[in-house]
Amino acid sequence: MLRRLAISCLVALLALPASARTRPHYGSTLRVEIEGDAWQRSGEFTRRLVLDGLTRMDADGAAHPSLAIEWKSENEDHRWEFRLRPGVHFHDGSPLTSTAVVNALNLACTTNCPWSAIHAVGVSVVFISDSPMPSLPALLAGDEYLIAADAGGNIGTGAFQVTGFNNSLLTLTANESCWQGRPFVDVVEIHVHRSIRDQWLDLSVGRADLVEVPAEQLRQAREQHLTVLQSPSSTLLALSVASSGVLGNPDLRWSIALAVDRAALSNVIFQKQGEVTASLLPAALTGYSFLYSTDRDLNKSHEKHGGLTLPPLAMSTEGGSAMQLAAQRIALNLYDAGFNVQVVAAEGTRPAELALRRIQIESNQPRAALEMMLRNAGVAAPVLENTPAELYRIEREFLETHALIPLLYLPRAYAMGGRVRDLRLSVDGTPLVAGASLEDAP
Amino acid sequence: MKLIWVAAMIAGGLTSLMASAAPAYISPWDDPANALAAQIAELLGPGQARLTIHNLSTISNDDIPTIRRLLEQDLKTHGVLASGVESANAIRLTLSENQRERLWVAEIVEGNETRVAMVRVGLGTARQTHDGGGLTLRKQSVLLSGKAVLATVETANALVAVAPEEIVIYTHTADGWREQKRVGIGQKRPLARDPRAVILPSPGGDGFEASVASMSCSGAYQPAQPVEEWSVRCHESDDPWPIVQSDATKNSLKAFYNSARNYFTGVISPGLGVDLPPFYSAVLLPRPSDGAALLVGGIDGKVQLVENDALKPVSGARDWGSDFAALHTGCGTGTQIIASGSGEAVSDSLRAYELPTLEAVPASAALPMDGTVTALWTAPDGKSVFAVVRSATDQYEVDRVTATCN
Repeated sequence: MLRRLAISCLVALLALPASARTRPHYGSTLRVEIEGDAWQRSGEFTRRLVLDGLTRMDADGAAHPSLAIEWKSENEDHRWEFRLRPGVHFHDGSPLTSTAVVNALNLACTTNCPWSAIHAVGVSVVFISDSPMPSLPALLAGDEYLIAADAGGNIGTGAFQVTGFNNSLLTLTANESCWQGRPFVDVVEIHVHRSIRDQWLDLSVGRADLVEVPAEQLRQAREQHLTVLQSPSSTLLALSVASSGVLGNPDLRWSIALAVDRAALSNVIFQKQGEVTASLLPAALTGYSFLYSTDRDLNKSHEKHGGLTLPPLAMSTEGGSAMQLAAQRIALNLYDAGFNVQVVAAEGTRPAELALRRIQIESNQPRAALEMMLRNAGVAAPVLENTPAELYRIEREFLETHALIPLLYLPRAYAMGGRVRDLRLSVDGTPLVAGASLEDAP
Repeated sequence: MKLIWVAAMIAGGLTSLMASAAPAYISPWDDPANALAAQIAELLGPGQARLTIHNLSTISNDDIPTIRRLLEQDLKTHGVLASGVESANAIRLTLSENQRERLWVAEIVEGNETRVAMVRVGLGTARQTHDGGGLTLRKQSVLLSGKAVLATVETANALVAVAPEEIVIYTHTADGWREQKRVGIGQKRPLARDPRAVILPSPGGDGFEASVASMSCSGAYQPAQPVEEWSVRCHESDDPWPIVQSDATKNSLKAFYNSARNYFTGVISPGLGVDLPPFYSAVLLPRPSDGAALLVGGIDGKVQLVENDALKPVSGARDWGSDFAALHTGCGTGTQIIASGSGEAVSDSLRAYELPTLEAVPASAALPMDGTVTALWTAPDGKSVFAVVRSATDQYEVDRVTATCN
């Protein structure tokens, strides 16, 4: 009898109407915690929430309209004209004009720009360069060319506007008249300078909805059953080598490149979450990265070193403890090859000959991504070719200078709470918060 | 009975929609093998070389012998004998790929020198349908677009698509639908982030009516008039949107839409005698007892049926998303509900359900869709449903979904 009653209850429970998943709801507050600065130039997503670019990249590597609705090139890509989207306003109510865009881009890029001049012409912005700029639409989607109405980069046209910053809490409020549509969540609260440990703790007790997961802690996050959102390889860990002074000798730079043990870095420091690489662009973009050997060759490194007696070298690094550990490990690798390297702070008084850096890949169009990488490394020449064979040739020629030694590709990852729905990552691993909604929104 | 008049809509039948483009088959390995052989021969010149093949791609290893054979044949025509095991020269072919295409990379090794040749190879795609349950659902791609598509309707040998800011008219060609005319809607206010629209043929068959955000558009044309000469006019409107229309009765059930959000307010015209909650979707279903009932998917995720002047909860719908549409198949109870799987997800699906009582019963296996189903509606003839699917790369595809009885 009891058994029958229990079965009846179970059947009744199963038959109860349960709520289905729905389209995204509007409302509520998304609570985000980050370790760094909210306005960090690259790699943080605050700028992407507040500012828009003239173009944006889709997952297939094509540039799409954003603040510019169309563009055309003339004179074999020496001149580009971008027509602005009408009716767009900055958060302060001022209209998006070609003059405002020119001012913003002139502030954003003072040297080593892809263009030599920009002009406001009616509702269009015209870029002119002595060299062809075939990748300009893709380059303009990059983080550094987002359009702000003010020098501080706080006033944009994006889905959220800055409404407060105090006690390490940045408050962004939904832009009701956003040209892309009002975002689903009402408010994004970004708690800055939170250690990863504190972020995870807050996530576990429901005080945060979105927290960071460094690549080296991805395995731990999974072991703790966090809901992790992970990008493909989007950050290049690379060793920048000065091409002057002691390391002006190309054989010494080559010796350094041969001495680094990438596999150990990946396995030990980054817990096998990185993709060992000796190429600038990841395999997912090019398909040819296997052509670059990632093997350590200490014998050849010694050969290239030539037994020279060198003064101690300094290696700076940015970022957290994993970067420090990686730098120390590389210093040990180089010691094996006859170099004496001291790891120093990034803001040290003495300029470092070596710098361990994280470089964000902001485009998934191979040509544009390569040009951005090369510009980042101080090579300003545009990449004109677009075939895999030509891109490989350009990349190889640059890598043979050993001014930048690619080491690992790392994913970007975030853990999110159960309230968060429909959150996706962009090409460069930035969370697309404007498209996310919250389960408990009214 | 408040719903009696709408029963005629189902009996009256609904008009037809859309055709499809058939995918073309391309032989995958002949051309790349030929192109690569030409490049290798140019670098290596006539002679012998050892050929090794390494597969880093998603190409099946079963295809490697074919690729080897094709490459050896093509190399031979260029004077390169690729079976020379004794040769000092080597050709290392790596079948690689990136996220957009395959890449075949040949490293040509002559002594200490290695040169590289590459050819691009397109990624093949395959579309699948899925069988199972009492029905088999099938989908056919109707339209692909790099821009958002909110709703479409076929009328007078044209396909009219509603985009957030434009009405786009396509005409049918041998290669599928080709864009012919684009008319700006002239949106006065910013759109919601999840914009929606409806479009229906005019009852007289000489135009269409579309509603999107706070705008209403109407198209009109004469028989045999070229699409370029069609008249399309849009104006601001807060009138309710037609959600069901019948050719037979010329009546439609209309619902007020919250254009600042993504749902209907729950106020419909004519009223049904019960207070409806705000909802995402509503469809008319024939019922054995009362002629018809309105199935409503609330914004709270609850699915309810308006029947006998009462709002009755429906169970078995917890796997439904917010979009569903009625499909008249003649199988089983005659009409099924096609429901999206998750409302908003990278990999959505559609599934048919029957509603013999107040419990939704699956009537087919899930039909995987290649992205998020962002809109779903019944074709005017009721015999197919149309789905708009947004891919992970923000491409939009309009699919026609039909069912066959098992």
